[in-house]
Amino acid sequence: MHHAHIDKFAYQDSPVHRLDSRVKFIVVLIFTAMVISLPRTSLSILTCYAVGPFTILVLGKIPLRFAFKQILLVSPFVLVLALSCPLYDKTPVTVAFGPFFWQTSLGWMRCFAILGKFAVTMLALIALVSTTRFSDLLAGLQKLGLPKLLVIQLGFLYRYIFVLIDRAHHILRARAGRKLRNLGFKTELKIAASMLGSLLTRSIDTSERINIAMQGRGFDGKWRTLSKLQIRRADLLFALTAASFMLGLYFFVRPVLQ
Amino acid sequence: MHMANELLSVPVATGTLAISAAGLGLVCRKARQIITPDKLALMGILGAFVFAAQMVNFQLPAMPGTSGHMVGAVLLAIILGPHAGAIVISSVVIIQCLIFQDGGLLALGCNIINMALVPSYLGYFLYRTVTAGPFSSLRAYIGAMLACMLGIEAGAILVPIQAAISGVLVVPFSTFLITMLGVHFLVGFVEGSITVAVLAYLQQVRPNVVMDSLPGKIRLSRKAVLITLVIFAIIISAGLSLLASGMPDGLEWSYAERPDQPDFEAAVSNEDSTIAAVDDFQSKYSLLPDYSVRTSELGKAASQEVETSAGWTSFAGVLGSCLTMALIWLIARLLRKKQPAKA
Repeated sequence: MHHAHIDKFAYQDSPVHRLDSRVKFIVVLIFTAMVISLPRTSLSILTCYAVGPFTILVLGKIPLRFAFKQILLVSPFVLVLALSCPLYDKTPVTVAFGPFFWQTSLGWMRCFAILGKFAVTMLALIALVSTTRFSDLLAGLQKLGLPKLLVIQLGFLYRYIFVLIDRAHHILRARAGRKLRNLGFKTELKIAASMLGSLLTRSIDTSERINIAMQGRGFDGKWRTLSKLQIRRADLLFALTAASFMLGLYFFVRPVLQ
Repeated sequence: MHMANELLSVPVATGTLAISAAGLGLVCRKARQIITPDKLALMGILGAFVFAAQMVNFQLPAMPGTSGHMVGAVLLAIILGPHAGAIVISSVVIIQCLIFQDGGLLALGCNIINMALVPSYLGYFLYRTVTAGPFSSLRAYIGAMLACMLGIEAGAILVPIQAAISGVLVVPFSTFLITMLGVHFLVGFVEGSITVAVLAYLQQVRPNVVMDSLPGKIRLSRKAVLITLVIFAIIISAGLSLLASGMPDGLEWSYAERPDQPDFEAAVSNEDSTIAAVDDFQSKYSLLPDYSVRTSELGKAASQEVETSAGWTSFAGVLGSCLTMALIWLIARLLRKKQPAKA
């Protein structure tokens, strides 16, 4: 079960998709940490870092438009914070970029650095999620020490998100068909509350039925998966490449480009 | 309230990740003793319910065009009890990060603490305190309202604190704090009203859900909560004391050299020769080579040559990276076009 709009690319097949989820997860985590620890005003090196996730996205046949749309979708909070930088830090600096020089303020540099880091780390996260099936990621995370209860909880949650979102869509469509204008806060609240309440009671009922069905099939609280996790040569190669990419950037490119 | 990676430094991110992992591990172990297999489905579905509930939006008063929605941490804590509620909301935050890319991977620890652990336990504690004794719906409503508002505010306060400890704040700490508090006062109010309204609905339709007879409900001893709160307060105050020493450190960077006040004394001076050498190296090769202030402070004339060379290096870096990406994209495209022809 998966949703048509969000994780359709995780079910494709490519060399990147076949990599072990644990290796990918750890690489993305370290990559994010390295990008975050860059100084707050280094901009040009960010494009060098962007090469990594970009390559994975291209190898995994993920449309770039999808990735950028996803980044735009989650950016508002960061955008507000980044845009408030120029208001507070007006130290003038001159930026030299190739043959061009121009005068700007430190705040703007930081604003762009924050946005750049955001884009690069998000690109890495999207590269991870859209090339890994969620069940594989969960199995990998469990091997890495995530509590069993949380793994089961996440599995259930993922399985039913899209069912309940569909239900919410039905309820919303019904409301849109009947309510043609703003009814004032009190009535609106009351309507929303009864929508949520009925959704909640229906969810509780559904969970009872699911529970009975699962008990009937012998569910004893243990989560069994078919996917076998094993580190193969391709995984080692990927880890090695990623490590040399990041170390190379850290030791050779960073001091020069700083 | 989802924090992004950029708001944190690596030590703070790993620290909060460790704290939230330890907290979640503890909660899971505690809950494991009480949660039987037949409650697992209920918890999973209620997690999915949180996602669906966030889609049900409604018009807010006084601000045309804006709409609010429910978050549900306190509602779940009331219905399921704090342990199970905290696990459910944490799983929601993790899914939001991994599937919907809302909130950064490194900021996951902070987000779990701010949005799952703190609102669940604090909210449940407040609700329990207000509704102690025989059940009355009025007290339940007041308790739920209080729990929502304070639980969300407590989580919101942590955001600027975590950012400030990281030393990444450009905006003054107090401004950020006040903004967060103000915005989340409104958020908390809306959350409180909708939670109360849902509770009122459930009271009519399914009174047993509200009056804690649903399976999976766990009572929490008051002593345990108090001890946790005290420990939490100690951790926060320790963080704040770090902040006191951390703030000038973060600000020094921009205030040590002030172009508008030539006789402004640098807040930090380090006579170590290696550090001076590194400084020199950095100023030579920094992305923004022309800190005319910095170069003159180092006793050198701002040389045009250094500027241009550094400008060219960064130019080359950006150009090279862009070219590499274009090349990769092009090769992949060519290969992909050829494949169907072969097959």
